[in-house]
Amino acid sequence: MTLELRQVGRNINNQWIVENLTMTVADNECLALVGPSGCGKSTTLRLIAGLDPVSTGSVQISGRDITTLSPAERSVGMVFQSYALLPHLNVFENLELGLRIRGVSKRERTSKIRQVLDLVQLWNRANNRPAELSGGQRQRVALARALLREPEVYLLDEPMSNLDAQLREDIRPELRRLVLEQRKPTIYVTHDQHEAMAMAQRIAVLNEGKIEQIDTPYNLYHNPCSLFVARFIGRPQINCLKDESGHIRGVRPEAIRFSDSGLSGKLQSREWLGNSQLLFLETQQGVIRIMAPPEQAIPEQIRLTWRAEDEILFNAETGLRLSR
Amino acid sequence: MPLLILLLPSLILLIAVFALPLFRYGWLSFHADSVMTGLVAIPNQGANWQRFIHDARYWQDLIQTLRFAFVSVTAEIVLGLIIALILNQPLRMRALIRSSSLIPWALPTTVMALGWRWIFNTPYGPIDRLMQSGLGQSLNALGEPSIAWITTVYADIWKTTPFVALILLAGLQTIPSDLYEAAKLEGASSWICLRRITIPLLLPYLGLALMFRLAQAFGVFDLVQVMTGGGPASSTESIALYAYWNALRFLDFGYSATIMIGSFLFLSSLILIAWLVITVARNRAAGVYAK
Amino acid sequence: MVSIVIIASSLFGLSVVARQPDHVSILMPAPFADSTAELVKSFNQQNRGRIHLNVIKGPLETEAISDLAISSLLLGDTPFDGLLMDVTWVPKYAKAGWLESLDNYFSNNEVSALASGASEGNHYQGSLLRWPLTADIGLLYWRTDLMDQPPRTPQELESISQKLQSSGRVPYGYVWQGRQYEGLSCVFLEVIDGFGGDWFSAESGQIGLDKPAGLAAAQWLDGLIQRGVSPRAVTNFNESEALQSFKSGQAAFMRNWPYAWAELQKNDSQVKDKIAITTMVAQTGHQPAATLGSWGLSLLKGSAHPESTVEAFKFLTSEESQRYLYSQYGYTPTQKAIFNDQDLLKKHPSLQSIGEALAYARSRPETPVYAQVSDVLQRKLSGTLTGMTSPTAGMQQAEQSTTQVLEAAGAAP
Repeated sequence: MTLELRQVGRNINNQWIVENLTMTVADNECLALVGPSGCGKSTTLRLIAGLDPVSTGSVQISGRDITTLSPAERSVGMVFQSYALLPHLNVFENLELGLRIRGVSKRERTSKIRQVLDLVQLWNRANNRPAELSGGQRQRVALARALLREPEVYLLDEPMSNLDAQLREDIRPELRRLVLEQRKPTIYVTHDQHEAMAMAQRIAVLNEGKIEQIDTPYNLYHNPCSLFVARFIGRPQINCLKDESGHIRGVRPEAIRFSDSGLSGKLQSREWLGNSQLLFLETQQGVIRIMAPPEQAIPEQIRLTWRAEDEILFNAETGLRLSR
Repeated sequence: MPLLILLLPSLILLIAVFALPLFRYGWLSFHADSVMTGLVAIPNQGANWQRFIHDARYWQDLIQTLRFAFVSVTAEIVLGLIIALILNQPLRMRALIRSSSLIPWALPTTVMALGWRWIFNTPYGPIDRLMQSGLGQSLNALGEPSIAWITTVYADIWKTTPFVALILLAGLQTIPSDLYEAAKLEGASSWICLRRITIPLLLPYLGLALMFRLAQAFGVFDLVQVMTGGGPASSTESIALYAYWNALRFLDFGYSATIMIGSFLFLSSLILIAWLVITVARNRAAGVYAK
Repeated sequence: MVSIVIIASSLFGLSVVARQPDHVSILMPAPFADSTAELVKSFNQQNRGRIHLNVIKGPLETEAISDLAISSLLLGDTPFDGLLMDVTWVPKYAKAGWLESLDNYFSNNEVSALASGASEGNHYQGSLLRWPLTADIGLLYWRTDLMDQPPRTPQELESISQKLQSSGRVPYGYVWQGRQYEGLSCVFLEVIDGFGGDWFSAESGQIGLDKPAGLAAAQWLDGLIQRGVSPRAVTNFNESEALQSFKSGQAAFMRNWPYAWAELQKNDSQVKDKIAITTMVAQTGHQPAATLGSWGLSLLKGSAHPESTVEAFKFLTSEESQRYLYSQYGYTPTQKAIFNDQDLLKKHPSLQSIGEALAYARSRPETPVYAQVSDVLQRKLSGTLTGMTSPTAGMQQAEQSTTQVLEAAGAAP
């Protein structure tokens, strides 16, 4: 089973919200869609779910064209950012609604709901209304609803954004397990690159409705195809230094070392990150961020150096990567 | 203690505006205070209440008022919901349509009632002229007891449906669109969305509109006063009109107070019963899915 | 020495007060306030520095002005010195203790100078409480182009109507006020009296509704609708609807007040110069009756300037003022002398008919609970006219309810 997007685009009032999107998500693969807000990530999900119509291109599941099908006919399970649970119904009733609509018998409904609630460990909350659940529990109910649909594709729209930072980290392994167990193409939309790297085998970076790069987290970090990707992936952000030749040299903060010669700089400020420290150094080529061990002493005369192979060159005008 | 001090002004206001007149009317209802007593209150040992219980006219007015209230409010809620659903759609010139739909509500009731009195006039109003030229028959809308009350209901619906629609529209806009989208993914039809999402989530707003409108309709006065004056054959007389006439036309304040207190007690018990029924029903519904 | 100072200062004080004109205010329904505006202006010119009269323009409708006046009076401090009152309010206002007696202000000569109808309805329990400004009476308007002589009996009115209707000359015979409101009581009073009955006598406490004349009156009015002499819609007609119908040539007869004459003689009227007025029909052997609907001025208790207020009353109701109000606005005069004014009669021939009809003026029951008594009648009669009850049952119930109202009010004799 695969999900395939071919030159998919959506145009509103002569403006492309997403344009020429082509990608394939394999069976058993979780693909993360990342990008700044307004880049078209959520729209892409809605096009796949059929909540918005495509202007161009086609969407296929295992070679079957579903572009013109209604959302109900598409067999997608979606987890909304807000979880979209009905506040006046309890957990059981929320899950039951879809099964009822699809005409599942009462007995089967109960056994299926029991099964899925056991899976997300919420059977003991079946009689509670959403307002009586924690954020994480609500998220699991929303996931349970998607699971009950037994869909061919899973779509998760920023499922963690309503949770606090600690909880997100706690929940991630569980969510990863549940999603991967389904062995279905999954698209995971997030604006958080750490989450994307943790959840997905591959990440698609979207910029202004277009895909900049689709690759593994490692490749995106080490071999970004453009300045945009280089800047978007990796925190603290990559240093961008202007070259005499007019190129832009990108150097990751952790690749820069103190030395006796090289670019001279002055300490502007520093941030403690616990296991490391982030230093902001003023140099002739602008402010440079470097990562240093926490016990690193700051020399009086600061000189900076890095290995040539740690440099990534970009065309200053197009922002595209230059082959070395 | 500081909480009490903070509450004091509103408490005093509540007592002054609500409780005091109630006490005053309650007291008056046990007195003869009319033109015949020279407008002096004289205790009359519950004679007002005896008269009240046997006052067939009051009970007729009560039934008529309830009939008016239930029919007009039901229609207003249904129509208001339909209008709110339409206005909630992305329409062209939505702002213009929304604000112009409020015009009937903005008109003073007496002005509007005069308008309807003319529209329903026989034989000079447009409706009757239409009937005459179309069917060759006259509709004696305001002169026929079986029809006249419907014209007042009609006028009330025309005037207050926009108000109901506005409340419900405000409610509709609080419903997140992803609830509908989630239901659509499950294959829900528009009807299921309306029944399972819109109406349940709109319930607080429906309740609000219902309370407002029932209270207003139960006290209907100026509309009836202007349109029919309570006639024909008192078929459109409301309890508010009857109480008003007792006070200002008949100068019988003791009995007018009795009517008001009696109606107040009746309405309060009605609300209490409705509240009990709703609470019991809600508790029962909550226990459906046992573990 | 001290007393001299006090006397001197009080004299001084008096002289200061005397230099300030007395401010007198009278509340009137809007049409009256408009039509007396010129008179008020000349009164104020004549009394400059002495009295200043201010007419407060109230609402248009009789009942609305009553509601306004009563709400003001209930608030305690008399907000006006005088009030222009409908004839039916007098006993109620008197009983409520709001009116000051005018006995000391008007002489017997002045009272006896009033035309016969106009002198009705100004007294309550022997004291003069209202001075008439204009006498309004119920009249029968008839079409001179459709008949030579007006009908004199109810039967004649009906037979003429039916003849004219069947020959297609008019769609309807007779239009009147059948809506559930005070106008219906006025119509009924004329009919019951014409059948030789009496609606209610405040002196004897006799109710005449469930009596042969009362039943005949209800049956006749009901029959007019049943037999198509009157349109079914009269059950919602007030004065202006009846006038509109008659004015557009839809009917041969109309019951209305004198003001209708001027309206019917306007250029947009289909019956201009084709109408005459007469008294209401009556059964052979009985006198016709014209419901008195007069308006008069009353002095309110607590007025700071009773003398000045009465002076204003006298000016507004003087012969000269009445002549002006009649020729300008068609207000029926209240003084005998004006009905004999040859100049005026020549200019306005209808004045003669009105003067004659005024002799048959009948007051509505003079009781403080008139509003209830009339309300009961309107309600039951409206039920009969709209087919809810038979005339017999309607009148029976009306009589019963009237008795109950009187008992509840403690007004039963």
